[in-house]
Amino acid sequence: MTMIKKNWLPILVGMIYLLLIVFRSDLALAAWENSRYYLLEMVQILPVIFLLTVAIDVLIPREWIVKRLGSDSGMIGYLFALAFGSLSAGPIYAAFPIAKTLYQKGAKVGNIVVILSAWAVIKVPMLANEVKFLGPEFMVVRWFLTVVFILLMALVIEKAGVKIVAEEEGIQAPVAVKSDYCIGCSACARKMPEIFVMQEGKALVQQDLSLDQEQKNQLALVAQKCPTQAIAVRQQE
Amino acid sequence: MDVFTIAFWGLGIILFVWSLVKSREKAKEAIKKSRGMMKNMIGDIIAIIFMIGLILTFIPPQTIKELLGSGNLWLSTVAAALAGSVTLIPAFVAFPLVGSLVDSGASIVPGVAFLTTLTMVGLVTFPLEKKEFGTQFAVTRNALSFVAAVSIALLMGVII
Repeated sequence: MTMIKKNWLPILVGMIYLLLIVFRSDLALAAWENSRYYLLEMVQILPVIFLLTVAIDVLIPREWIVKRLGSDSGMIGYLFALAFGSLSAGPIYAAFPIAKTLYQKGAKVGNIVVILSAWAVIKVPMLANEVKFLGPEFMVVRWFLTVVFILLMALVIEKAGVKIVAEEEGIQAPVAVKSDYCIGCSACARKMPEIFVMQEGKALVQQDLSLDQEQKNQLALVAQKCPTQAIAVRQQE
Repeated sequence: MDVFTIAFWGLGIILFVWSLVKSREKAKEAIKKSRGMMKNMIGDIIAIIFMIGLILTFIPPQTIKELLGSGNLWLSTVAAALAGSVTLIPAFVAFPLVGSLVDSGASIVPGVAFLTTLTMVGLVTFPLEKKEFGTQFAVTRNALSFVAAVSIALLMGVII
């Protein structure tokens, strides 16, 4: 059941293709032809994304990210995120692993929004293409307005207090809930709401955690009391 | 591969090797973590790609072009923004498409709305974004991006 819930998208798409192959094989073939370009793009980009997430993790100290992209990074942080996103390559889904890695290392939500948006819209090779077909004036005005709106969006999202809560916890987190085990009793969320939130009947770990010793001790107790032992606590780095 | 992608590869490889040299231990752990993250996403990414193929089959660029150049400005702008949200077509197709429309005398407003939502709003990538960043984040980001795209388009109509 969790297998289906977790993979509903591939299953859905697979079923549509199966139906098309049976009833309209011409359309299935056309759809495959249309997908090929994107498949090639993915094969060209994803390995680099993998290398980069590893490099960010190893080479960039947490304090550095907190300072440049964290909650007190201000305008400089936004500009930094803007430049970072603009100088990337690949479609927006390629930005997800990078943005997630940066977030886990201390970048704030607003800057994640800037990176994702800049990655999507204002890439340098795309700007060149835009000049070619729509002229420099068009490109410059659209670029300028887009930058303004991306920054506005980041501010709105920061002010609204939007949180990033991943449905899947990576193994690097100090605390993780094994969602396959969690029965949604919400005992942990009641005891330590600063760590656990309930979402769609499962407990999830908030991502921007910094725990003091007292909280760590309490956490160990809460983990022990979990009826299905679904809470994994990782020891000190 | 275009120059940019090649440069990206070069950068990725250099930084990766540097990580290995700096700390084997840390790099090993980071590789394990990234591999886990990638494994989590890859199924959805492949599904997204095949979904794009499907959408392009049922809503070909030609249809979009007709939509962008049609009738009422408000209606076609919102329709264009919606079309950009559900489709994902490469820049080298999108720009000439909008370019030829503008050359033929159509308003640029729907075209800009389309170009902007095309990359910034992703209905197809939404399930993955939701999984990785949470429902609240994904909904807010996409909704705000949609509003931003329409605003950018209208402002461009005034400025140019």
